Amino acid sequence: MAERLDKYVLKNGMVILGEPMKAVESVAFDFLLPAGTAILPEGVCGAANVISDWIFRGAGDKNNRQLGEALDSLGLHRYSAVNSAHITIGATLEAENLAEALDLYGDVILRPRLEAQQFVPAKQLAIDNIKSLDDDPRQKVMLKLYEKFYPAPWGRSTMGEIDQIKALTVEKTTKIVKENFNLSETIFAMAGKYDFDAVCRQLEKMFEKGEKKPLNPIALGARGEKYTHIHNDGAQVHIGLMTQTVKPLDKAYYHMRIAVSILSGGMSSRLFTEVREKRGLCYAVSAKYHCLKDLAGISCYAGTTPDKAQETIDVIINEFNRLSDEISEEEIQRAKVGLKSALILQSESSSSRAGAIGSDYYMLGKVRSLDEIKQNIDAVTVDSVLQFLRTNKFRDFTIVTIGPKPVSVK
Amino acid sequence: MEFKKKILTNDLSIIGEVNKSAKSAAIGFFVKTGSRDETPQISGVSHFLEHMLFKGTEKLNSQQVNEAFDRTGAQFNAFTSEETTVYYAAVIPEYLTEVTKLWIELMRPALRDEDFNIEKNVIKEEIAMYKDMPSFDVLDRCRKLYFGEHPCGNSVLGSVESIDKLSVSQMREYFSRRYVPNNMTVACAGNFNWEQISSLVEGSCAEWPKQNAPRILTDWPGNKKAERIENPKLAREHICLMSRGVSIQDKRRFAAALLGTIIGDSTGSRYFWELVDTALAETASMQYVPMDGTGVFYSYISCSKENVTKVMEMVVNIFNKLSKEGVTEKELKTAKNKILSALVIKNEIPMGRLIDLGFNWTYLQQYHTIEDEMNAIKAVNLADISSLIEAIKPGEFTQVILGPDKAN
Repeated sequence: MAERLDKYVLKNGMVILGEPMKAVESVAFDFLLPAGTAILPEGVCGAANVISDWIFRGAGDKNNRQLGEALDSLGLHRYSAVNSAHITIGATLEAENLAEALDLYGDVILRPRLEAQQFVPAKQLAIDNIKSLDDDPRQKVMLKLYEKFYPAPWGRSTMGEIDQIKALTVEKTTKIVKENFNLSETIFAMAGKYDFDAVCRQLEKMFEKGEKKPLNPIALGARGEKYTHIHNDGAQVHIGLMTQTVKPLDKAYYHMRIAVSILSGGMSSRLFTEVREKRGLCYAVSAKYHCLKDLAGISCYAGTTPDKAQETIDVIINEFNRLSDEISEEEIQRAKVGLKSALILQSESSSSRAGAIGSDYYMLGKVRSLDEIKQNIDAVTVDSVLQFLRTNKFRDFTIVTIGPKPVSVK
Repeated sequence: MEFKKKILTNDLSIIGEVNKSAKSAAIGFFVKTGSRDETPQISGVSHFLEHMLFKGTEKLNSQQVNEAFDRTGAQFNAFTSEETTVYYAAVIPEYLTEVTKLWIELMRPALRDEDFNIEKNVIKEEIAMYKDMPSFDVLDRCRKLYFGEHPCGNSVLGSVESIDKLSVSQMREYFSRRYVPNNMTVACAGNFNWEQISSLVEGSCAEWPKQNAPRILTDWPGNKKAERIENPKLAREHICLMSRGVSIQDKRRFAAALLGTIIGDSTGSRYFWELVDTALAETASMQYVPMDGTGVFYSYISCSKENVTKVMEMVVNIFNKLSKEGVTEKELKTAKNKILSALVIKNEIPMGRLIDLGFNWTYLQQYHTIEDEMNAIKAVNLADISSLIEAIKPGEFTQVILGPDKAN
């Protein structure tokens, strides 16, 4: 199943990517705008969140209400997210409405009205979303973990800081939009049913402007504390834990992915077996690979009642460390089948594919074909994973807990 | 797309929709049982039993079960609601037979004492986890207040006390009454060989004995009770409203789905423009949930304690205006476009298709093509929406608000 990748680069450097899918009537697209939390200047953490809402509150010849209604009338399912590198805005919709949707998104990116009156609610919602996290400790613990794990500025909160959002003004935020919606570093990724030539012509007409303007290099600052406890009189202690590993471009990448899968891929994986099945310590326990372009880690979440928190974290860390002792052929095979199946299942969804190709292009400078990924997975052996684990020992862990009592960390 | 069905002599339904262009296949076992089929003495048993099915059979222990699933690369799991327990797996086609065989075996579990005792801890951890999620907790409490003594008010998870008291023999007894072939549907969607899968299920399940598995089916008008629960550790107000809907068997369910979208979709709805766009609330949604013999609309809203009074006033205004003026042609058209495109997108994936297929058969004994569903949505007109609003009166809701201490 050799899938095709369509690619076209505008003169200003903006990249247009597409993966056609035969069996679908839908199309999904993402614009990756280089205005994530780590890219923006110091002291405006949360501006990206305000902006991702504000730009949809009127654009081009449409006011807030008219724009919202125009988008809704196309039956499209909107999506916007902020991470350290990008503000991503996108949608999934029926293919016949694509051209109209792209015109509207063109207005949102190029001609947002940025009205003062609409700034107030956009800012308030960004603040309220942060406050809501206090009632969702499971999500909060992982956000705090990424903040502590990644060195500044990559560790800045992707939700923002309340005091910094409060200090934002219309003028300051408008300036941030103008300076950071840098088309030459924008990636457009789509998957599903589309006419690539037509999309390129349309996007070229809208976005072919401005000079190539590479992003400034970002100096790495310090990482956060190794252990942070946030007191909360809840029913559980929510544990987030993370350790460094290889980046997506590293040649050992696939060995690491198999290792993570052995640790927490399916229900027969090490963490699920040792923490939940044998000891009944948790309902939720899982680990996954989490990466930025140049930094990466394996993160783990577990939630457990306070009396079991210490044992839970001890068992988890022991499983990380024990991984390099021994791995069976059976485990490797299950991990390989699991990873390959997940790839194929995701490839049926236009929104998953659009997300994957956009992220691949940003991280790797190219899009990996499914065949390339499969071949790399197949090439992994017990010995190669063990060798990887033994030369890349999990040295230390960044840990965050939220709950009635802290754990003791060695 | 080709629909297939076979009803065995013990009334086990096997259905399938074959789509040769799909890259995967999905299989599901739909058991018509859930917390509404429980008595207070066995509260939480349906959900606990769902966990126990993964613990193995006379021949397989839990580790072997987990390994067998993972060998197929399946994305598999199960969920329990008030009225249905669903076990499912999505796989690449070459592994479908293997994963189906495994599910068939697991449908006759060993329910061992030692597994039961360890899993009790996991269930209690799950209960604790949801306690820390007020957005879930408020819904659970509101369902209980709305349904009162009606069995649909029963908690799916049960309580720590009910789970502590539950014995494995009570679970075995419940299993033997509810997991009977006439109370189950096996559904398959995507790229698969119908003859192969249906004969496999028939060969293994035809001997399962049939037994009466009744369910109390009464509609429920709801009430207008209101409760406020204060908890100083909460940061936000969590509001749940529940009002009468129509049942899954009721033809008005398509109009109800559209009404839910018009009032409470995440973008462009009345809630969105009145509450979220204005930043009075950070979340506001309403959904229609069709159920067996009954149905509900529920809303979830979260906001600051400063805004809660204003938000509730706005909600009352929204429903007053709705009952006086109905909805507009433009709103109806937009809601149709949203639901139609969501149907297209969901059904492109066999796992998405499986769920509709299985529920339609379980509760309607009918097969609906995607086109049937789309046409039914397209056919709804303004008069249908108006008469639905008049019949169900969505402004007469039960409400539960979980919020921080007002005094502070």
